[in-house]
Amino acid sequence: MTESERFKHIKKLKDMIISCSGIGDCRIGFRPAVGRFGVCPAYEHSPGFEPYHARGKLRVLFGILDGTLELSKELAKVWFQCTTCGSCHAICHQSYNDNINWFICNYIDHTKVWEAFRADLVEAGLAIPRHTELVQSIQDDHNPYFEKHEERIKWLAGRKFPAQAETVYYVGCTEPYRLPDYAQKMIKILDVSGTNYTVIHPEEWCCGSIAIRTGHLQTATELAEHNVAAIQKAGAKQVVIHCAGCYRTFKVDYPEILGKELPFQVYHATEYFLDLVNQGKLKFVKPINKKITYHDPCHIGRAAKIYEPPRELLKKIPGIEFIEMKRNRENAWCCGAGGGVKSAFPEMAVEIAQDRILEAEELGVKTIVTACPFCVTNLRDGAKSLGKSEFEVIDILDLITMTIE
Amino acid sequence: MKKLSLIKEVVGSDYVSDADFMLQSYGKGISGGLIEKRPDVVVRPKSSEEIAEILKIANAEMIPVIPRGGGAGLLEGVFPLKSGGIVIDTTRMDKILDFNENNMTVTVQCGITWAQLNNFLNTRGYYTGTMGPGSGMSAVVGGGLSHHSVGGGGAAKYGAVTRHCIGLKVVLANGDIITTGSGASKYIKEPFSRWGIGPDLTSIFLGDQGIMGIKTEATLFVYPKPKFRSYRTFIVRRKAPQIISNIFLNYRKLGDVGIYDAFWLPELSVSAGLGLMVSEFTVFKLWKEVNPKGKDILFYTCEAESEEALAQNVKKLNEIALENKGVEMLGPEINEGNIAKWHYEENGHWQIYHGFWGAAGRGSVPQTAEHHIPIHQIPQMMDTLLKWETENQELLMKAGPAIHGLGSALLCDHTTVEMDSGLVCWNKPEFREINEKLWKSNLEMIIKSGGMPYMAGMRFSRAFIDTNAFSDQFYNFMKAVKHALDPNGIISPGKYYLGGT
Repeated sequence: MTESERFKHIKKLKDMIISCSGIGDCRIGFRPAVGRFGVCPAYEHSPGFEPYHARGKLRVLFGILDGTLELSKELAKVWFQCTTCGSCHAICHQSYNDNINWFICNYIDHTKVWEAFRADLVEAGLAIPRHTELVQSIQDDHNPYFEKHEERIKWLAGRKFPAQAETVYYVGCTEPYRLPDYAQKMIKILDVSGTNYTVIHPEEWCCGSIAIRTGHLQTATELAEHNVAAIQKAGAKQVVIHCAGCYRTFKVDYPEILGKELPFQVYHATEYFLDLVNQGKLKFVKPINKKITYHDPCHIGRAAKIYEPPRELLKKIPGIEFIEMKRNRENAWCCGAGGGVKSAFPEMAVEIAQDRILEAEELGVKTIVTACPFCVTNLRDGAKSLGKSEFEVIDILDLITMTIE
Repeated sequence: MKKLSLIKEVVGSDYVSDADFMLQSYGKGISGGLIEKRPDVVVRPKSSEEIAEILKIANAEMIPVIPRGGGAGLLEGVFPLKSGGIVIDTTRMDKILDFNENNMTVTVQCGITWAQLNNFLNTRGYYTGTMGPGSGMSAVVGGGLSHHSVGGGGAAKYGAVTRHCIGLKVVLANGDIITTGSGASKYIKEPFSRWGIGPDLTSIFLGDQGIMGIKTEATLFVYPKPKFRSYRTFIVRRKAPQIISNIFLNYRKLGDVGIYDAFWLPELSVSAGLGLMVSEFTVFKLWKEVNPKGKDILFYTCEAESEEALAQNVKKLNEIALENKGVEMLGPEINEGNIAKWHYEENGHWQIYHGFWGAAGRGSVPQTAEHHIPIHQIPQMMDTLLKWETENQELLMKAGPAIHGLGSALLCDHTTVEMDSGLVCWNKPEFREINEKLWKSNLEMIIKSGGMPYMAGMRFSRAFIDTNAFSDQFYNFMKAVKHALDPNGIISPGKYYLGGT
């Protein structure tokens, strides 16, 4: 690697890096009046030195850019312990702010910086070995689960789809291989609503979210190019995605990676279903008498600002008693699974999930609803590790399929 | 390294590090425009006892120790004067140890943030009165007490945070752990007073910029949060320094009218805010409609236990403001431009001003000179600031340009006002030398003009000495006190040129 290629990803973001004032609200800021109670799960579940939270990370990058700091395995380990949840971005004085929306408020895109440096670390040979294995599996079989590509449609039990349709249901890897029930629930809802859709197997490959989050950008670019071409080939005007990680990747990352707008619309399942309900194509009829709360997945929440559609859907279900958690929307606490933390640092991921379970428990609620397969899995692990067998973590699809029956 | 292994034995290997990248992240304060100075070791202890053991190691080997809280200090108090030494990051010590509703006190570890503490107290109907510094979301109690902090809210009613401290647990340089205030008596189980045991030794450690010992626990008075609040915002269309000075002083002459905070946002800040605004919903948008020329803004918050008392006081406060020609009151709601309401009902006060530091563009950072003066000296100090700016115009231009001025001012203890003046400079290596020059000159100008820093850090503390502000007798006394507590000068060496240069 030539000198000019070293750190090429963060060099492009130098202006963001030097924009940190160093106030440090990204560590543990509280703003009770607007529902902000804490910021950084990595800080709270680690030895807590500065580089575990955003200010310290940006100062490390000052040193890298100044040439006064060298890379190390220890630095890489700390860097990859961030869930890339974006909570630091939501509280930063130099980034997004509801009330003071100046141009200076967009100085730093924190998650983008974290991911850029991950790419530099990977190119310097400092990838986390477990992440490398997952990305190798994606390169070999188009999924990160070490499963055969042919098995991707096992959940469809032989059902055939047309080669072309107005809407593509992009399934992703997690649900077909690990949570097939959710993939089946998606097609059930789409069928009931009368949507003209298709599933594009065998052309559908992993979206590349894991590759992006863990710094393997070349792999992610190849996957983006392939998937976009496959969806175009299916003649789709829109793609509906339930997996929150896949949705964020299509909606937020693909246009940036490919350097252009996608030739189709991308909808998260909650946005799409809300629209169907509002059009009367989907009817919520069967009462579900449950007291629930909703956990905002970072992938669709802070990353894509989808806060209201899932809530509106939940509130339309007869019998549901909906209670907000103390930390919600842009202030929501991460489930702990994101950014490759679940695969590389599973104990840390579960500890962070425990925070969320305990937060829900404070409300006297026994059911957490979310809209992300990673959140479902990790929050279930969190509840289990706390010995709270009475706790139920479900996806919004579980409730929708129950109420439309 | 010997000291590293010794400290590991005290705190465990997870909580001490000498990794380059860890040290790098502890080598700067908020003034990012200047060179970082890395410590040799950084440690995150969990108790007074662990800190005592670390200080014993450091004292035996004459190693500099820099205590650090939230790291939000603006005047370089949070990293070494020279590279090397041990930074003690106290933020792991963030527990509430005792809430005593009978005595209306709370005892905390000093690494807790003001916001965390007030979140706990608010749910029980109390608050700390003064809510810490303007960075109270991340600033910790220990740092606030070291700096006589104000700015997070409540300074007009309650003064600096140090007023409310009735006792401390402090680790001295030799590792001794002492308790001050009424807690010094073994017969007093519930601290309730700072005074009465003899001289007020708590005060040696208040506003000390962290040089006299390491504060690990503090007992603070807490206050019932009044049930009713009112907020008002005014445009001051002419002669703002004189009119604001008159209004603030006349507010004080009313006696106790429950005024919780009173702020002045000078034209510089208001017009910068208007210029920077890009989206449709902001507090500034409303100013754009009602105050398109970006004239000065005054706002206050008033508290009371009853609606009647509140209405009476608000009437008096508004009359005082409106008797000045050119002062106009805005409507009471946030969407009518009432920034005061947004400040307190939506925690706006903890997010607005820091945004200004980026006002010059990407990579612009503060080099503050915020200080206290008597209210009646506001017009004179504004003239002095302008004079300095004119004299240094060429240097300011060469620095990028750097921006100088007054960002805000607020009513503090009794007849004191905090003037948030200073520079916004560029965080770029090519400007470092010139930034240094400007900052030093700016701070010395404030001292010579009668300004009194509260958060002094390395910069303002040395400016006192550089300008020969203290008499020899006073400085010798200060040195003697420091020597008695820290004979080897290991704690925060360099501040006030004590314990190291």
